[in-house]
Amino acid sequence: MKLPAPPTEKSFPSSLHHPRVATVIGRWLGTAVVVCFLTGLYSHFQQDTPGWLPIPSRPATLYRVTQGLHVLSGTIAVPLLLAKLWTVYPKLFAKLPWPPSRKALETMLERASILVLVSAMALELFIGFLNTLQWYPWPFPFRQTHYALAWIIVGALLVHIAVKLPLIRANWRRIAEIVPNSLPPAISGLTRRGLFRTVAGAAALVGITSVGQSAPALGPIAVLAPRKPNIGPQGLPVNRTADAAGVTSVDDNWRFTIKGPQELSLSLDELQQLPQSRSALPIACVEGWSQGGRWEGVRIRDLLELCGAPAHSRVRVVSMEKGGFYATSELPEQFAADPLTLLALRLNGEELALDHGFPARIIAPNRPGVLQTKWVHRLEVIA
Amino acid sequence: MKIRRGLAGAGVLLGLWGVWKLATTVDVHGLVRLPLWLGGAVLADDFFLVPLTVTAGWLVTRWASRPDGHRTVGTIRTTLLYVGITSLIAAPLLLRQGKGPNPTVLPRDYLRDWLLLEATIVAAGIVGYFIASRSAGNALRPATSAVVGRAWRGLRRVRRAPRCE
Repeated sequence: MKLPAPPTEKSFPSSLHHPRVATVIGRWLGTAVVVCFLTGLYSHFQQDTPGWLPIPSRPATLYRVTQGLHVLSGTIAVPLLLAKLWTVYPKLFAKLPWPPSRKALETMLERASILVLVSAMALELFIGFLNTLQWYPWPFPFRQTHYALAWIIVGALLVHIAVKLPLIRANWRRIAEIVPNSLPPAISGLTRRGLFRTVAGAAALVGITSVGQSAPALGPIAVLAPRKPNIGPQGLPVNRTADAAGVTSVDDNWRFTIKGPQELSLSLDELQQLPQSRSALPIACVEGWSQGGRWEGVRIRDLLELCGAPAHSRVRVVSMEKGGFYATSELPEQFAADPLTLLALRLNGEELALDHGFPARIIAPNRPGVLQTKWVHRLEVIA
Repeated sequence: MKIRRGLAGAGVLLGLWGVWKLATTVDVHGLVRLPLWLGGAVLADDFFLVPLTVTAGWLVTRWASRPDGHRTVGTIRTTLLYVGITSLIAAPLLLRQGKGPNPTVLPRDYLRDWLLLEATIVAAGIVGYFIASRSAGNALRPATSAVVGRAWRGLRRVRRAPRCE
């Protein structure tokens, strides 16, 4: 029995496997990648701030917007990447150039850069999406790998654009093209415009059905989102539960300490007797979900004043949680001085639930949720 | 040419920066296994997801060679694509639901919601199909099964013809 011949570049009859189609979809995918990269970089710098970069505490909801965009752009990049791969799929079966020549070497390098780009982007989107589910089935650390792959993707993308620049320019200048020998739209029923509409519709569909975890107004239809607004203790989702943090209960003789020029030790009652302030701020998580809450507690800058420290002081926040990357965090001076930044004791009119950080937690504007440290029992003025 | 060289040079530098970050922040155990996952991602895309789409597209286009099929093929293809992409995104949600330690992650009934979503897409597709069929019935374009069949056969002849290369 004769085996069927393997496909070649000519085996795909649709006229939509065309460089111009690839250029247009590539432009959309490139835009999603750039938005995803820049917002991801911002999130990385929020958690790992270099000394030369002051991150402002306002606008208060900036991180909510950027991280929501990060996850949204990553999610809609899934159909865009598949559409792009579909468009250029015949190229996978193109013959390798032979005999060896300078042209052959260039082709091989171009293919290698595409292999890097496709593999890194596909894996980046996959692990990024699974991270929003808190699911980590791979044998490497998520955060470090996600960050490093992002640079590799952007690098490979620039190389890819450099290689394809003549085609991209031709598309923009609308140079006359050769009509391909393929099925006409009268039969295939799909024109380029139709394909673009379909792909844009697919991206919009996955976007609309998942963005509700960041924009609560669309929460009811966010059927593809791993989070649902209003679900959780006190109507707010939780990222790390008290159980996972090893905080199972809080003693009645719990005391809060602030160490500055003077060291103060206060019981929960004494904290509640201090002037209380209110902040309406969102918890905006690195996984993309966010939801607003009404917080009540003591301003950090009031606590700094009480212990004799200047309002613009850097503060180390120490939690009772056991282990984990975020058992301590640091409040830069602009966040500590912001009147919206609280040592929160109450949420939505009730005492904090244990999962939300009872008896006290940090809530600050424009900060990732992982840095809104829960179960706080100590503040240390650093400088 | 200068722009292309500049872009390529910047790209190589950024890529190397990423490789450096990987090498300095991921342990050997992870670094050894990462290429397997990268390769797996390419296999999943290029040897499963895209071939599946190409095959489905080919079957649908074959189907479109029946009388007036080409008028409604767009609706059918779009519906299949939307069902496919939403199911792909929903798959991890369905697989992971109820397995994590945090009840506020994946709190919906994802099986019910996924079925509802697919039913909505299919219902919208059926409405689109009938609208397209009706407008086809009113149209005066002369595309008939005979015309479509001739075009198919013609294309196959062209592709079978020996090439002078």
